[in-house]
Formats: sequence, C-alpha cells, structure tokens
Amino acid sequence: MANVLVLAEQSRGRLRKPSLAPLTAGRELARRTGGALTALVMGHGAGSAAEELAAHGVTVQLADAPVLEHPLAEAHAAALAEVATASAATWIVAPATAYGKDVVPRAAVALGAAMATDVLALAGEGSEVLLRRPMWAGNVLAEVELATPVKAFTVRPTEFAAAAQAPGGSVVPVAVHVDPARVRARFVALHEVKSERPELGDARVVVAGGRGTKGDFGPITALADDLGAAVGASRAAVDAGWVPNDWQVGQTGKVVAPDLYVAAGISGAIQHVAGMKGSRVIVAINKDADAPVFQIADYGLVADLFQAVPELRSKIAGG
Amino acid sequence: MAARLFKGAEYLITEATKDDVFVPERFTEEQRQIADTAEQFAVSEARPAEALLERHEPGVAAALMRKAGDAGLLMIDAPEEYGGLALDKATSMLAAEKLSSAGSFSVSYAAHTGIGTLPLVYYGTPAQKEKYLPKLVSGEWAAAYCLTEPDAGSDAMGGKATATLSPDGKHYLIEGTKQFITNGSFASLFTVFAKVDRKHFTAFLVERDFPGVTVGPEEKKLGIRGSSTTSVIFENARVPVENVLGEIGKGHKIAFNVLNVGRFKLGAAVTGAAKHALGAGAAYANARRQFGVSIGKFGAIREKVADLTAEIFAAESLIYRLAGLIDDRIATLPKGGDGYYDAYQQGIEEYAIECAIAKVFCSEVLADVVDEVVQIHGGYGFIQEYPAEKYYRDERINRIFEGTNEINRLLVTGTILRRALKGDLPLQREAMKAMEALMTPSLDELDPSIPFAAEKATLANLKSAFLALSGAAVQRFMEKLKDEQEVLLALSDVAIQIFAIESAVLRAEKISGDLHDAARADVAAAVKAHTFAGVEKVATAARRAAFYVAEGDTLAVLLAGVRRFTKYDASGLLEAKRRLADATLERERYPF
Amino acid sequence: MKILVTVKRVEDPESKIKVRPDGLGIVTDGVNYKLNPFDEIAVEEGLRLREQHGGEVIVAAIGGDPAITELRAALAMGADRAVLVRLAGGAPPDPLVASALLKAVVEEEKPDLVLLGKQAVDDDQNQTGQMLAGRLGWPQATFASKQESLESEAEQKRLPGVARAADGASVRVAREVDGGLEVLELPLPAVVTVDLRLNKPRFASLPGIMKAKKKPVREVAAASLDVPLAPGVVVRRLLEPPKRKGGVKVQDVAELWKKLHEEAKVL
Repeated sequence: MANVLVLAEQSRGRLRKPSLAPLTAGRELARRTGGALTALVMGHGAGSAAEELAAHGVTVQLADAPVLEHPLAEAHAAALAEVATASAATWIVAPATAYGKDVVPRAAVALGAAMATDVLALAGEGSEVLLRRPMWAGNVLAEVELATPVKAFTVRPTEFAAAAQAPGGSVVPVAVHVDPARVRARFVALHEVKSERPELGDARVVVAGGRGTKGDFGPITALADDLGAAVGASRAAVDAGWVPNDWQVGQTGKVVAPDLYVAAGISGAIQHVAGMKGSRVIVAINKDADAPVFQIADYGLVADLFQAVPELRSKIAGG
Repeated sequence: MAARLFKGAEYLITEATKDDVFVPERFTEEQRQIADTAEQFAVSEARPAEALLERHEPGVAAALMRKAGDAGLLMIDAPEEYGGLALDKATSMLAAEKLSSAGSFSVSYAAHTGIGTLPLVYYGTPAQKEKYLPKLVSGEWAAAYCLTEPDAGSDAMGGKATATLSPDGKHYLIEGTKQFITNGSFASLFTVFAKVDRKHFTAFLVERDFPGVTVGPEEKKLGIRGSSTTSVIFENARVPVENVLGEIGKGHKIAFNVLNVGRFKLGAAVTGAAKHALGAGAAYANARRQFGVSIGKFGAIREKVADLTAEIFAAESLIYRLAGLIDDRIATLPKGGDGYYDAYQQGIEEYAIECAIAKVFCSEVLADVVDEVVQIHGGYGFIQEYPAEKYYRDERINRIFEGTNEINRLLVTGTILRRALKGDLPLQREAMKAMEALMTPSLDELDPSIPFAAEKATLANLKSAFLALSGAAVQRFMEKLKDEQEVLLALSDVAIQIFAIESAVLRAEKISGDLHDAARADVAAAVKAHTFAGVEKVATAARRAAFYVAEGDTLAVLLAGVRRFTKYDASGLLEAKRRLADATLERERYPF
Repeated sequence: MKILVTVKRVEDPESKIKVRPDGLGIVTDGVNYKLNPFDEIAVEEGLRLREQHGGEVIVAAIGGDPAITELRAALAMGADRAVLVRLAGGAPPDPLVASALLKAVVEEEKPDLVLLGKQAVDDDQNQTGQMLAGRLGWPQATFASKQESLESEAEQKRLPGVARAADGASVRVAREVDGGLEVLELPLPAVVTVDLRLNKPRFASLPGIMKAKKKPVREVAAASLDVPLAPGVVVRRLLEPPKRKGGVKVQDVAELWKKLHEEAKVL
C-alpha cells in the first residue's frame, strides 16, 4: 500500500497546466503500487484552482491559508510535508516547474525522502518502480530507484500526457499548521517579463529562416513569437542583409542547442548544421525535397514555408 | 627535474631516456589553471574581437592587451620586482599555446611579451625597468620590436638606421625606417636597433611620443590580418641617452638572444594552432557526407587525419621537452644578483639549436596541417565561411618571421659545427665512431622487453647517420662548410627529425604506464606513424647530403650506411593510422 | 559578510559522455573534469558580494583529492579558504547525503549566506541547496538570476541578482520563475542557489592562481560527521538516449504538428 500525493501548482486561483502531467504520472504510479491517489493544491483563495483540478477526476486536498498565499518554499514545503504525512503518502509527485523544483526538495528532506528530478517516464516492473530521468544534460538516461521509505519526484511536464477531464473528483479542505513566524522569506514582487524574445544562446525553441524566405522574415518572427522562441538565420540571409549578424546560427555564428529548432527555407549547409545539430528536435521546412537539411531533420516537411508556417501557427493557436 | 642536464645538441651524441624529458602530462595544477585562464581569455575576450581587429578598429587591440594584463597573462616572463611572476618556460610556452586560439591577438600577445618586453627584462637598467616594465606587464602600454628594415631582413645587422649623439650629449637622434613592425599602430614602447656612428649596432628604448617618431599605415596582409603590422619611421627622433638599452655596439647580442625565446614560443603557439585546425578538419570530416557516408569513414581522409595527429604529437613532445631542458638549466642558476639575466640568457642560448629546431619543425607541422585541413574541406576549404581558409592564410607567416626557416635550419647545423670547433661538442670523435659503425655490420636483435625498442634502435642509427655525414661533410669542405648551405640544410633536416622523433618516443614511454589500454595504444600508434614519416624524411635528407658531400667509394659507403641506418620496422602501420584517425575523429579534436 | 559557496567537480560538458557497456556508469577514460559551471557563477557572486561588503568567501566541496583541484580553482578566482569533506568512494553523494554533510560544514563555519549552483551538470538533480536550507531551517531562494534585457538601469537596480540590504541583515534576490522574475527578501542567514544568467564568472588571474597555492584547505572526514552515507537515489542502469534518425518526412503540417506534440513532446 503506497499512497500517492500529487502536488499541483496554482497561480492566482488558476490551475497551472503543467500540473496535469504529474497527475497522469501519479495515476500510473498508484495503479502499480495499489495505493490511493490524492492531489494537493496550496495557496490562499485557491479554491477555484482546486475545483479545476478536481474536474479531472481526482480527490484534491486544498490547503488554503494566508501563510500560503505566495509560493514561498518555507511555507509550502512545510505544508506539503505535513499533508504527505497525514495522507500516509509514500510517493510525492510534482511538476518540474520552478515551483516544484523549489518546494519539493525542501519537503523531501523533512520527510527523509530521496528525490528524483525531471522524470521522463516510469520504468521497472509492477510495484518496483524505477524512474527514468536525464543526466549529464540529457546525454545519458538513468533509471533510478529511490531507496527511502518516502519518495519524491518531479516530472517533465511535456513527457506525460496532460490528464483528461473526468468525473469522480472532489475538493477536500485540509488544515495545515504552518507557523508564519517560521516563514522568514518575504515576497516582494513578481515581475512578469514581457514576452521579449529569448537570447538565441539559451532559448528553448529557435525558429530560423534562410534563403527560402527571400527576405521576408515575417512568417519566421511570427512563428517565433507564437512559440516564445528566439529567431535565427542562415548565413545566406545575413549576408543578403535581410537580418542582423547576431541572428546567424552556424559554426561562425552562434552554436545553439535548443529543445526544438525549426529551419524554414534553409538548405542545410554544413556550416549551418554545425551550429544547430545539438538541438533535441530538428524540423525542416523546405520546398526542395533534396535539400541536405532533410538528412539531419527529425521531421522534414517538403513545402513552401509561406504556406506551411501560417498553417503551423494556426495549429499552435488551437486550430 | 630531469635526471641529468643535457647540453645543447647533445641529444645527437648521448642516448636520452624518458627520465630526461619533461612532458605536458606532468604539468602542475597551477600550470593547468594558467592554461585554462589563457584559453578562457582567448575564447571569451580575444576571439569575439577578431572581426573588429581585422578592420583595425582603433583601440580594440590596446584594450585587449590591458585585459590580458588584468588577467596576469603578461606577467609570466617578467621579474617579480616589477609586477611579473617570473614563471618557468614550460608555463610561458603553455600560455602561448593556449592563446593561439585567440586568432590575431595571439600574434600581438607574442610580440608584446616576447621580443617586445624581453630586451628590457634581460638588458634594462633598474631605472629603465622601473620606468617601463610595470606598464608593459599591466598592459597599459603595448610593446613592439623594431629590427627589420626594408633592406634588412635576414641580414638584420645590415640595417641602415643610424643613431647620432646630439651635440649636448643628451640625446641620440635616430634616423631610419623600420618595417613589418607588429603592434606598430598601438605600441607605446619600441625597442629600436640602430647603428651609432654608422657601425655600432645598438638597441634603444623609444617611446611613441618622442619627437620624430611616426607610424605608417597598416599593411594589407595575406594572413593574421587582425594583427597590426606597420612601418615605423624615425626622422631625427630624439631619444634620451638614458634609453640606450644594454651597451653601445652590443645590440646584436640582444637581437639574437631574444630571438631564441621568440622561436620556442612560436613553436608552442603554432602547435596550439595546429590542434585547433585539426579539430576543425575532424568536425568537417564527420559532418560532410558523400556516397551516403561521412567522409571521415574513407581511408583517404583518415590517413590525413592520422598523419596530422601524429605530427602534432611530435611537435608537442618536442616543445615541452625543450621547455624542460631550459627550465632545468635555469633552475641551477642562483636567483637574483647582477649577473642573473646574463646567466639566464646563456642558459637559453645553450639550447639555441633546439630553439631553432622547434621553430622549423613546428611551423612546418602547422603548414602541413592547414594545407590538409583545407583539402579535407574540399571546395568549402576555399570558402571564407568555413574556418579552413583562415587557418591556411594565417599559417604562412610562421615560416618566415622570427628568422626564416632557411636561416633557422642553417643555424642548426652551423651552430653545431661552431661548437664542435670550439670543443664544446665532441663531434669529430663521435663522427669517427659513427663511420666505423657504418662499416661494421651489426646483428643486434631487438629486445622486445624494452618499450619502443624498434624506435630506439632506429634512433641510435639515425644519430650515427647524422654524425657520419657531418664528419664526411667536414672532411670534404673543412672550414668552407659554412658556405655550403645546401649541405648544411640537408644535415639540419636530419638533425631536426631526430630531435622530433626522439621527443615523441621518450614522451610516449614516459606516459604509457599511466594510461589505460586504449589511450596507450593511441599513443603507440602516434609514435609509429610519426617515426615512420620522420625516418623517411631523414633518409631522403641523408641521401641528399651524401650526394652533396661525397663521391666514388666514400659515397657508396655513405649511401649504404644511410640505407642501413634508416631501417625502421613499421609493421602494423595501417592499423595504427586507422586507430589514430578514429581517436581524433571520435573526439573531433586532437586526442592527446 | 561570511559567505560559504559549495563547489562540485563534474565531467566537462564539452567531453563526449558515453555509457559503459555494463550500463552501470559512464566511460571516464579520456573525460575531462572541471568546476560545475553553476558553481562558478555562485563563486563569482560570492566574490562580488565580498568586494561590495567585505568579509570572507569560503568554498566547500565533498570528495577526495580530485575535489581539491576544484577548490583550488575557486581559490584562484579569489575565494579566501576552502573546506574539503573527505568522502571515499567513486560516485558523488546524492543530494540527501550531500545536504547532510554540508549542514555540518555550515554549523561549523556559521556563514551568513550559503551560495550553491542550482544544479550540478552531472546528475542535474537541482535539490541540494533546497535540502540544505530545509535541514538548517533557513530561508531559501532558488534560481537567482539577473534579467539582462531590462528596460533601464533603474529597472536593473530594482532587480539585482543578489543584493544585501544596507543594514546587512537580509538579502534581496531576484529569481527566475516560470513567467518572470520573482523578488524575495530573505533575512540572513539564508541559502541561495544561482542560475545561469546571474553573472559572468571571472577567470582566475595568474596572480590569483599563484596566491591560491598558499590558501588553506581544511579537511574534515565525512565519517566523523555522524551522517548516514547510504545513498537514497540508486542508479540501477544507464542508457544512451535514442539517436536522431534524420531523414523522416511528414506529409503535411497536420502530421508535423501531431508528431511535435505527441511524439517529440516538444510543443
């Protein structure tokens, strides 16, 4: 019997989407261990977030208290540990968001729990659960066992399907006894950064254009903005004066390794490829089916970027 | 500390062991940290400025020099009393090697810290050092060295610049033009060579702001375009008498001694550049696909990668062995005191031959590497978007400046013969022994329990070949030998290759015990490939020398001897080269 | 200010990391090691704070002789002295154990501020700082950062990475959270973990390197610290991630979107 407690994240009363991934992971886990599954939402005035989560068919413990208004680790970790103990939870699962990564380790140490970060999948057999997670910047995948009585892990939100809505859920208020005097950090402000484009060097997504744009980078920058991505370019585009020098991706420009690299209208000369081959996923869109870029692309689409990119944008927008 | 102190060129006579060589694998933690700093500086400060430097954007090079000063990179060879760290030559070479990835700035750095600063360090009076050294060490002032003139390159002493004492005896007025001066556009201190009374070759410390000093425009160059190269014109330039460096009429001592240091540092710098070029070639070979496969899988490419890797291994072994020789000798000098730098320079001068060898061998390794890296890139090697063509253009000057490779080759054998004549090297005795060995068949079996037995046996024979040929050359030409340049050049080629082969073999032996199996096999492969190539070069040069110096029976004996003494069993060569190529291609960089 | 910075020796991210044939470790032959890049940023931040407010920067590491190399690298950057928790055995301790060992060092040294890199680039666990703070009962701020592309200098001043208050009793930390920068005020003593954009670490100057040789490295044996050393995270096996196939074509945008969403899970 190994109960599972899923930590969800809310912001201003709204459930944050990444929370649905640990719910999926938690369900799979509970199925394998035979334990009961509940979720936890913490905050102040977070009831609506708890309802939102409960609409996915899970019992949601709601810890609502002024001390939990801001996601301060001292408060949330203490509350999480208290609820986990009260729930006889053996497993704590949370999203690997800034919140999850900040709070869960502190709770884990209070529970003497070993913890695995950024889990990609559950492995092992039956109730012997191993966790698959990246190490050495993703160059190695590890299957780890957590050898303490209580165990904790965060999941990479993109790796587990978001749990679907389902009946049968409910919200159960729970009291937590977090002493405000022992929460010494003070929230000062949250500055929401305008979605300014990220730096090419450390963007998670890069959209790059080349000769195929014929000088019109409109579709490229629009797609980048949709994805919160950085914009890159091939040397041809830079040399033609269509875009600034520091947009150049390549061995003599910038070397990037984002999660996703979209090369639109780029033929894929070695110099350019050298600058992006470390990307986790490479998408190429090019009219020329024989363009060398298709050899390295994980997904290649032979199409006119002026048609394909707008179409992709509408798919992203939810079309 | 090596087991014993070898004299210059003694390697040709005495068998050296692994305990006699310093190897890069034995760098101390501090040396590695300094190497890291040099590399980080090159990559994060200097390299990004390359485009600006190539446009000769004002202020950029000077700012970099100051940053290098802040990092302490200009302190290595300077004395502690004036803000330096007085570190050993191994460290100095290591920094030069790691800074090679700084592109054009590495040339400015080398000129500043080497020929720009060392004359002052070695020959300056306390007052001169006090006045100028701290500024050079901090990078506040950049230094330049003005020896070459439009009509005086290799014949440095043939310069026409003059220095005339003013009537009041307080100034020298320098008149003349100096050419190809590195750092010309932003240096504040020039070490200028001029003849007093049209005959006494003398060095002067000249500030940029002294009246009569004009700097010409930037030369448009084939390569190292980001380094400043200008003429410097002196028209009645007023230099206070206090700024005479060293003694009047003894300027040539300064010029020649400082060149030794410049040579071994160049050897280190080009070795670093060769490593980078090789990495670029390997990365391209892996990425470029033809016939459905990356070209790094084809033997034609792998052979190149293997040969270049082996050559660089030898170059690297050679320069740090030389560092060890110099450092060990300098370590025996009592620190401080008036004669310290005199003795210091003599310590370096002892290895003038090896310094010249380092310059020639390593610069020619770089030449091979950049040429083949262009070739590996195919058509793209010709296109500026790819790094190969810049390596190719930037390399060329290394075989020309710091003494052309021809001059340096002549120096190798010329100096050996001079020392033999003075009785410093028992050349004649050894030559006779070699001649006898030549004529005595030997049936020695190789002892397989000795590491690198085949290479060592061959080395001993190569040395005998050199000695026998040298002896024959002396016998034929006597004191006129110094004018038979073709002969000297051929003999030098033999001497140079021997030093390189031996350095690689001894390093391999020294480090093999510490390596795991795969690495040990890679090192052995490098030794085999390089020894084979080196022995072939010795054979060719030795045969050439034989034809140059002998005829009839003597010639027949010499040729037979060369044939015997240049035997090397390179069985397993193909497998070794393939292994070596893999080591480099897998890592996309020099693997050692 | 007395600042303690932890440093970890990790495989050089530039080295090619390969899994051993037995799947129980990585191939270490030919791999270079260096100071964890996030820890370098932490050391740099400590040095900047010391430059502004005076005090001492102490660096601490857990391991054997090789760890001393990284301590010396930090000393060469300018840290004042070092502590090594000597722990035998090959693999570095997991965060549960490391945080317990570091707690002992903190209790001995009594710093005002503990700085750690947010994660080590070998295990990428991102837990040690938080666990240490939990064990100590100290306030924590993770992912301290500085937003470079802020509108104005005034903005930059308002959102410094790590800033000590005038009275010395607290620090303000700007931290990267999803969607922006959160500013927290932590009364000292506190634990802060640092993220990539916080600063650009200086490289060790040559005089710094020479001075580092003489700076003290104090050793304390892990065994003497009354900390259970059994690992909580046990690696059962290591695998290479799936290699890029390349050359796969999709029919249309709909298929592309599906693949990116469901298969690659990158959008």
